[in-house]
Amino acid sequence: MTLFRIALKQQTVGLVAMTAGGVLGGVLNALAFVQIAGTTPAERTAFAQQMTVLGAQLSYMLPTPVRIDTLGGYLEWRLFGSLPLVYGIWAAISASGSGRGDEERGLVEQWLAAGVGRARYLVARVAVFAAVAVVTTGVMLLATLLSASGEPLAAGEMLAMGVNLVATTLCCYGMALVVAQLVTTRRGAGGIAAGLIIALFLVNGAARSADIGPIRWLSPFYFFERSRPLTANGALDVVGIAALLGAALVLLAVGVVAFARRDLGGTGLPGIGRESRVTRSPSRDVLLRLPVLGPLRQQGVWIAAWLVGFVALSASLISITRTIVDSLTSSEVPFLRAYFERAGLSVYDSFVGVMWLSSATLLLSIYAILQVASWSADDAEGRLATILSAPVSHGRVIVERLATLLVAVALIAAASSVAVYVVAAGQGITLDGGRVVLAAALLLTIPFAFGSIGQFVSASRPRIAVLALSAVAVSSYFVQQFLPLFGWPDWVANLSLYNLYGMPMSGEIRWGGVAGLVGIGAVATALSVAALRRRDVGA
Amino acid sequence: MKGLAVKTEGLTKDYGNGRGIFDLDLSVAEGEVFGFLGPNGAGKTTTIRLLMGLIHATRGGARIFGLDCDRDAVAVKRKVGYCPGELPQFGGWRGAEIVAYVAGLRGDVTDAAITALAERLDLDLGRKYREYSHGNKQKLGLVLAFMHQPALAILDEPTTGLDPLHQQEFYGVVRDVRARGATIFISSHVLSEVEHVCDRVGIVREGHLVTVSALDDLVGMRAFRVEIDFADDVPTDRLRSVEGLDQLEVTDHRATGLLRGTFEPLMAAIAGTRVIGFTSREPSLEEIFLSYYR
Repeated sequence: MTLFRIALKQQTVGLVAMTAGGVLGGVLNALAFVQIAGTTPAERTAFAQQMTVLGAQLSYMLPTPVRIDTLGGYLEWRLFGSLPLVYGIWAAISASGSGRGDEERGLVEQWLAAGVGRARYLVARVAVFAAVAVVTTGVMLLATLLSASGEPLAAGEMLAMGVNLVATTLCCYGMALVVAQLVTTRRGAGGIAAGLIIALFLVNGAARSADIGPIRWLSPFYFFERSRPLTANGALDVVGIAALLGAALVLLAVGVVAFARRDLGGTGLPGIGRESRVTRSPSRDVLLRLPVLGPLRQQGVWIAAWLVGFVALSASLISITRTIVDSLTSSEVPFLRAYFERAGLSVYDSFVGVMWLSSATLLLSIYAILQVASWSADDAEGRLATILSAPVSHGRVIVERLATLLVAVALIAAASSVAVYVVAAGQGITLDGGRVVLAAALLLTIPFAFGSIGQFVSASRPRIAVLALSAVAVSSYFVQQFLPLFGWPDWVANLSLYNLYGMPMSGEIRWGGVAGLVGIGAVATALSVAALRRRDVGA
Repeated sequence: MKGLAVKTEGLTKDYGNGRGIFDLDLSVAEGEVFGFLGPNGAGKTTTIRLLMGLIHATRGGARIFGLDCDRDAVAVKRKVGYCPGELPQFGGWRGAEIVAYVAGLRGDVTDAAITALAERLDLDLGRKYREYSHGNKQKLGLVLAFMHQPALAILDEPTTGLDPLHQQEFYGVVRDVRARGATIFISSHVLSEVEHVCDRVGIVREGHLVTVSALDDLVGMRAFRVEIDFADDVPTDRLRSVEGLDQLEVTDHRATGLLRGTFEPLMAAIAGTRVIGFTSREPSLEEIFLSYYR
């Protein structure tokens, strides 16, 4: 039982964060349906027609809408179209922690030395994750069901959706667990697994609009999508569910067997690993010795991966702008049209801005959260003490971390803005170059605010820093997403950091909001320095 | 006249439940090699982290070369080299990258100094940190502590994990560093470690400083390990009544114990018995150390 209790404790953050995020997403989407689809049959029919057209344009991201004039159909498309990806990435993070993170920290060695079998150790971790996934999914589905407010939505249908979602999540967990046996670091395992899962999500997206043959069978999201329980009276596709659960079992078994057979700290693949040259000299890389550039140099591969991924995403989003805008602006549904107008989505260049900048602000804040996670780890794993053992002030530590974050983000944003400009031009959409540059430059305010808040929490309570900052990001996201639907007052809108940034390519720049973000960043930075100076390092 | 390298006055870090370090008054002269001894949990690492300004005192204070360890932490660390007891995790960084990065933070390090230390300690800087054995990690910690030729080196159990050969090399490094006038502050629970290099020793127990003595004074305390072999039964009752005889153990015809003070009471107690063997030797520092904890 001790093994299970410890495994459960290590899942606490995931349990809280995923449950809170899931409940928020489910409830808001359920409540938003009436707002966006209208209440009369005529409004809903028109809504369904328009969404079907829109859905065809978004098929690379979301499943084709079915019965979208009903709440079940809407949730299946809007909420459960992307939720498996979120759960999949959570599974990747968790599996890399179980498969590599504990090993990096020496915990696995302790367990094995205490007489715990390798298989038993890993099976316990898998079982606890499965239990946490079931609880998280169950609470999210229950909250969504209770928010349906008179719309027909059966508990049995939601239960079937839950089974489908958990099976997909376990399949992703199994993949990530196998990856973790092949890569020697948690960060590497988590990054590769998350990348693999995103790639498989995109494979399924591509399969919706093109015949890519059996490759689509590699994607768990394809099998997830074969079941449409919310629009099929709770029926599950037997083949799809069996494939997901079967694949999950096989992958988990492979992961456990590979873990049992490989050396601790090893890759599980023979002959992998570069022979190092014996040297007594320090690295001649001058970048390592320079402030800001040293940490940047260490994160080079990580930053490059983000840059490439973000450029690819920006380019793909912009490449479909023209067809999406054409379908959106022809909407005859009053609520829907009002939604698009309030969101400033009626002109090509505005839409480019919205598509690009909304994804950019979200992704760059995720980047900032990951950096905050590594800052907290610096403290827990002794690296901060090493840095502060050099003649380095607490203030310099804080400022250098932020500078490193901002330089990395600047590189990513700059590359992305070039991609957006070029791809838009290829679509025949002329963008104001100056506005693109300004919007990209202002993007820095988002990671600055997130990074500074994260620094403050990390300097005060490092263990809760990621959770707290993720809560800020999720609440900011939902406020921004549902603001046009519910017409919330300005003070609510200003609670969202994304909303403070505004949409600089869709109208007037919100200098007040930008100043707010900079102000939040500056105040949080000052507080961070004071907090770090006051706190005992490593406590 | 030499000044003080380290000076603490009423230095206290109270973690509650009697844990921490309490009312520590300590002075270490410039050029001295000072051993800070105590068992695990005695407060050695807490003291060192206070000196390094990594944690803050509940009350009292510490100064290094006259600078306040807390308020002037940055200036203090220009003069100090630090080897922590628990080494940080640098994951996939290579040793060469770690020393270059920390050298960049310090700004006053030559590559030649790093190379010389790495050669002396036989440390391959080309390997990834996670591939290092515990001993190699310790060597890296020592390179980081000494590479900028500090005026004061603060070393928390520095020979942990080093094999005997490299322990000897470490002692050589300490002697060389001392020879150029630097001060060394070494914590340890291995007394043989400080026997090799220390001038004075402070012993800490349950958060309180028990004593500070010159190494010679400590070793020269009137205490002896005695072993007596009797031809007949051991006069156990008489031996138990001997003033200053502690740790008495009797097995068959042999009695052993630690004798403090003069031999006269012991000789009187065994008078009239047939003694076929009698040995006494100076106690090791280990034994003196242990006697403080009994």
